[in-house]
Formats: sequence, C-alpha cells, structure tokens
Amino acid sequence: MTDTVATPIEPPARVPTDAELRELERTWGDRPGLRGWLATTDHKRVAARYLVTAFVFFLLAGFASVLMRLQLARPEQTFVGPDLYNQLFTVHGTAMLFLFAAPVMFAMGTYLVPLMIGARCVAYPRLNAYGYYVYLLGGVVLWGALLANTGPDVGWTAYVPLAGPDYSPGHRADVWQVVVTYTEVASLAGAVVLIATIFKLRAPGMTLNRMPLFVWTMLVMAFIVIFAMPWVATGSTIFLGMDRLVATQYFNPAEGGDVLLWQHVFWFFGHPEVYLILLPALGMVSSIVTTFTRRPVFGYPAMVLAAVATGILSFGLWVHHMFAVGLPQLAASFFTAASTMIAVPTGIQIFCWIATIASGRPRLRVPLGFVLGFVFIFVLGGLTGVMVASVPFDLQAHDTYFVVAHFHYTILGGVAFPVFAALHYWFPKLTGRMPNERLGWWTFWLLFIGVNAAFFPMHFLGLEGMPRRVYTYLAATGWGDLNLLATVGAFVMTAGVLVFLVNVAWSLRAGAPAGENPWDADTLEWSTSSPPPPYNFAVLPVVEGRSALWDRSGRAPIVTGLRSDMREQLVTTALDARPSYRHLMPNPSLWPLAAAAGTGLLLFLLIFTPWGIVIGGIATGLAILGWAWPTRRHEAEELRREREAA
Amino acid sequence: MSEPRAESPVTIDVSRLPATVFGRWDLGWWGTMGFVVIEGVTLFICLVPYLYLRRNFDQWPPPGTPRPDSAPFAAQVGLMLLSWVPARCLDRAARRFDGPTVRRWLVVLAVFVIAFAVLRAFELQALHTRWNADAYGTTTWIILLMHASLIVVEVGEVLTMVAIFYGHRVTERHCSDASDVAAYWYFLTGSWIVLAAILVLWPRL
Repeated sequence: MTDTVATPIEPPARVPTDAELRELERTWGDRPGLRGWLATTDHKRVAARYLVTAFVFFLLAGFASVLMRLQLARPEQTFVGPDLYNQLFTVHGTAMLFLFAAPVMFAMGTYLVPLMIGARCVAYPRLNAYGYYVYLLGGVVLWGALLANTGPDVGWTAYVPLAGPDYSPGHRADVWQVVVTYTEVASLAGAVVLIATIFKLRAPGMTLNRMPLFVWTMLVMAFIVIFAMPWVATGSTIFLGMDRLVATQYFNPAEGGDVLLWQHVFWFFGHPEVYLILLPALGMVSSIVTTFTRRPVFGYPAMVLAAVATGILSFGLWVHHMFAVGLPQLAASFFTAASTMIAVPTGIQIFCWIATIASGRPRLRVPLGFVLGFVFIFVLGGLTGVMVASVPFDLQAHDTYFVVAHFHYTILGGVAFPVFAALHYWFPKLTGRMPNERLGWWTFWLLFIGVNAAFFPMHFLGLEGMPRRVYTYLAATGWGDLNLLATVGAFVMTAGVLVFLVNVAWSLRAGAPAGENPWDADTLEWSTSSPPPPYNFAVLPVVEGRSALWDRSGRAPIVTGLRSDMREQLVTTALDARPSYRHLMPNPSLWPLAAAAGTGLLLFLLIFTPWGIVIGGIATGLAILGWAWPTRRHEAEELRREREAA
Repeated sequence: MSEPRAESPVTIDVSRLPATVFGRWDLGWWGTMGFVVIEGVTLFICLVPYLYLRRNFDQWPPPGTPRPDSAPFAAQVGLMLLSWVPARCLDRAARRFDGPTVRRWLVVLAVFVIAFAVLRAFELQALHTRWNADAYGTTTWIILLMHASLIVVEVGEVLTMVAIFYGHRVTERHCSDASDVAAYWYFLTGSWIVLAAILVLWPRL
C-alpha cells in the first residue's frame, strides 16, 4: 500500500483562449438583474441558496431550543407556557430534521458533486431549482405558522391519535403534515438529480471505483431518499392529512383503522432518515481526512461497501423505535440484532479513518479538528444507541431524557460537526477566501464543550426518570442542577455558532485569497478557480486514478469538441464513464419557480381543504406545461446541432 | 442499441458523438426511471394499509360491503394490455426518428389514456363503498385515486407531446422524449394490473 501520494498538480493540458472563456461565460452565465437571479439553474448558485436557507432555519431552530432550555433551567418556571413549549419542541425537531439536516446535505451535494466528478452542471438543472423553491416555501410556512400561533404542537413524529382529528382540532397538525411534504418533494427532486448526475455526468476515466467517497455517500443517500421519503410524504399528507380533512379511517380503530400503522409508516422513513443525513457527513469526513493526512483514505473498497451496507441495513431497523408498543418477542429480538448490526459498517469506517490518520502526516487544521470532535461525540452517541437497541434497557429509557441525549449526540456529532468541518474546509472554494483559523478553533472548542455540557447531563436526567417533552418539573425531583448545566451548555453552543458567523463575515471581507487549491487536496473541485466559474471547468478533466489531482500524470488525453456556444454537457456511461453522447442542457427559466409556487399553493391549501389538490394541481400542471414547452432558442440550438451532425 | 464511443489515444474528440440517444444511454430516461421508482414506492405504500388493516376484520370486505365488481377492472386491465401495442409502436417509430408516425401513435395513446381515466370512474363505483365508510373503503379508494393521479398526469403529458409534435418542427430530442413516454407507459399500466389483481382477487379468496 502506498503511503503519502501527494504530488504537484499538473497544469491543464490545454489552455483555452480568452475568446473561448468569454463564450463559455456568456453561454453558462445568468442574465443580470432580478429575473436572472430568480431564473438561475446554475447548481452552485442554487446550492448556495440552499446552504444559506438551511443555515437560517438552523439558527431559528437553535433559537427555539434556547428558549426551551431557558424554561427548563430551573424547576417550575413560567417563562414559556405549556402551549408554546409544545409548539417550540415540535418546530425545533421538525426544522432541524426536515429543514436543516437533510437540506444542508443536499446543498453540499448539489454544489460539490458536479465539481467533484468534472461536470459542468447537474443532470436536471431546472428540477434542481424547483426543489429548492419548494423547500424554501415549506420553511416559510412552518415559521410563519409558528409566528401566527399555529405552529405544530404534536412532536416531530406526530403520533396518532394525538395528531388525528379528535385530539388535535384546528390546523396545527395540518401545518406539520404539509411542511413535511414540502421538504420531501424537494428532497425527492434532489435525489433524482443527484443519481442521474453521478451515474451519467462523470468525467471520462472516473469509473465507479475511482469516485470520491463523498460522491459515493451522496449516491447512497439519494437512493435512501427515494425509498424512504415517500413513506413520510404519503403517510403525512395522504394518510394523516385525509383522516383529518375528509374523514378517511386509516387511524380510527372504531372503523378498522390502526394507530400503530402510523408508527410503522413514520419510522420506516424515520430510521433511514438518520442514515441519509449521516452518510454524506461521513463522506465529508473522508474528504477532509484524506486532505489533512495527505494520503488516500485507508480501505477505499471497505469504505464504499460500508456506506452501501449502511444504506441497506437502515431499512431493517425501524421497529426499534417501537419497542415500547408491545411486540412479539421474536420481532423484538430480530430488530435488536439488526440495530446492533448496523454499528458494524459504521465501526469499519471509523477504524479506516483512524488508520488513515495514523499512517498519514496529519496537519491539525480546523476542519480536521471538527472531524476529531465528530469521532468523539458520534462514538458516544453510537454507544448509547447500542444500549437503547436492547429491549429491556429501552423499556426503561423510552421517552426519557436519555433518548434526547442519545439522538443529540448522534445528530450533533454525526451531522453538525462534519457540516462545520465541511463549511471550514470548502469555504475557500465557495467564496475564494480563506476562513480565519483562530476564530475557527474558537468555534470548535465552544461547540465541543457546549455539546457535552448540554447533552451529557441529560443521560443522567433520563436515568433518573425525567420524561422528554415536559415544559417544567417539580423542585423536589432534584433535576434542577443538571438542567441548569444543560442550559449553560446550550448558551456555550450558541456562542460557538455566533463566533462562526463572525468568522464568515470577517473572512468574506478580509480573508486571504484562497487560490485554486489552498489545502493541496486531491479531488477535482480543487482544480478550478475559487469560486468556480459558471461553466465549472474550461477544459473538461480526464481522471486517471482515485485521487484525481494527486494521480495526474500529465499524459492523460484531453477532451475536445464540446461546444462552448451552447450548454453542451458530455454524458458518459454509468459504470466506466466512457464518453457516450453530447446532451444539450436547458437554459435558465422562471418556470421552475412558477411550478414550485403551484406546488406550494397545493400544499398550503391542503391545510384547509382537499380542493387544494385540484386548484394547486392545475396551477402546477400549467407551470410544468410552460416548463416543458420548447422555446424557440432551445429548438433552434437542437436543430443546429442536428444539421451540423448530419 | 450498441454503445456509442469516440476515443483516440491523445484526445477524446467528443464532437463526433451523437447528439441524441435512447433508453438507458439517455439522460432523460434516468429521470423518468427515478420518478417511476418514486411513484412505484408510493403506490406500494398505499397498498400497505390495505394489507395491514385487513387483520382488523373477520371478513374482507367487511360485512355489508359487497365484493368489488370485476367487470370494470377487467375492462381496464384489458385496455391497458392492449395499449402496449401502440406504446411499442411509438417507441420503435421514435427510435427511427420517424416524426409523422410518432405523432400518430401519440394520438392513439392519448385516446387510450383518456379512456383509462373514464374507466377509473366506473372502477370507483364498482367498489360499492366510500372512502370514509371504514378502513376497507379508505384503503381501496386511496389506491384507486393515487393511481388515478398518475393517469391524470399522463393525460397532460401525452396531450402536451401531441401538441408539440403537431405544433413544432420535430427534433431528434423530441423523439427521445417520446420514447420515454413509452417507457413510462409500461409502468403506468403494469402497476395497475398488479393492483387491480389484488383488489379484485383477494376479496374472493
């Protein structure tokens, strides 16, 4: 096995002329002004919006959690009443899972995947833009509802019968079920875009077994989305929504319905959801470990197989969320075994990273610091996960603060830390500026200390019997001091996030210019300018090894013949990435925005009336008609290509 | 179809590569298949409560609800099977870039898909229950309506294609899109054949 393989990056084999670059800029750039801004289908601009929007929702959801921690800091406080508290914890969980964790992964994937695989754009740029707008509308509906005192108050899992028509009159539960569907529609669109992009737009030479691990994890994530997310979208908007709107009987035991059906449907989505947000984070970790140890990640095939195995196994665990409902013993044993088994591929990945770090030349920069923090926190979350996978223990800890501690360790460790690592790592590529290292370390330590101070005490609170989702507790319980410590931890975390925002603002203005590849990394996104031009690559790269930049020999063939006066994209074969044909990509358009507005109208009206399907369906259908209708420009381009080919 | 290639030892000149391909070589086909999988999963999810809630009843359909009439379902299935012939002809004509023939077969498919929508109303009647009657009524109605939503979307798609093929100069790209319509058609009809068999036969077992 080779040790360190970093080699100087070869200059591009063919330098395009200024005229060619100007033409590429004209062809792939957006029109100026508001219209161009709204109509853009540039995957980088759409992804940047996704990222900023997800981060704003993250800050709002974090603010909701600070309010809850203030309320729980001491016993019997009245800072937040029970009604608002119910809305806060529901909106916090819903926003963090549906509006931040999954979307932030899509944001990073949409930005980075085309650059990492050497493509000029994503496979379906308009669908990508549509997904973003639908997602944005979903977030606006959720936070708008909270401001209007109609925020959902049934928990992020919306169990029936609580969320059903009998126990949740009004529209709060309806808001939850449509917001979930907004985000799922967006995610499903994103997943289709990513799968086609990864399979069909890879640069020549990037066979599947040379694909960066981040791209592999995004691919597995996209497949999980396609098989998992329809469950919650259908379960919420059709099963729950129709029970509430038109008196269908899915969950009404009096007419043969069953409340446990909801739990099965929800968790068949809900458990894969954990892994679909975790896997891209693991891909980010692999990229960062590779770069900062200056060697390819140890055990590439094992890492790929572990990611795929995690994706498959994630569909076999959902019932471990339902141990307390009373299951046949055989089923409980099966799901205990399955839940324990998924620790194996995750363990393989962690051992591979440790081996990579141990056998490389680690440079302890901020992104690697966050990765080390991730390993520590995520392993603790994983270990308590093995504990609650055991039925006897779970029955004791179920619905207590132990579970709150467990999943916050898992998600903060497994998602937030890698995302902060990624934001520091790819900041130079996104902005062209280096982030401030000192402020980065302040962010790291404040978050690391804050997470442990906030959530470690919750293990003990749970073991002492404090139930989750209570707005207060009696002084006699003796839970006050640990709760106070948790609240202090929440404030330390908040300080960490604020320092990060200061770092972003400062670095955007005064950060050192980054250049193409400031970290001397090995993946293709670092071979183009920072930030990348609208066309991503002036000369399409050809890949010779797993570490695309480190393995460059300078003798690779070059790609010629792709038009620069039209949005032509080279499409390659799915497995071996051999050139297949030239696809003409669509031009920017306002129709995806119009279609998203139609879908948004459909779902918004569904809060109040089933006629939303008809009204919103017609609006969406008309917009899609406009979307699909051939424009004169596109048709002329197609005909020109055909004539010239003939 | 054989795989198109263009390679040379020093440069990869892609200008000679085709501008239009079909089936799994085509980028659009992957999007169509993505939505086929999502919609297939969604139909399966709608079927799950039908199977899961069955255990809450001694009889299926519940007492007082007659079994669904098989005639409208059989007619629908028969029509769908028959429609595979024009779908296949459409695909073959599209792959030959034979615009006028594609146009004609698209009109035939438009007639078929409108007929599917009309027959769906008869299938709903043939259930002899309502969506809010009980879990049986709910699950059967939702399965029919969810699949009906796919039919409605397909009506829109096929009519749009007809309009494009009659109102514009037909490009090779349009032919590739028409071929994808045929690929989706097999899913639309094939999925209903499976669902109809379950809805009609299971109550008779």
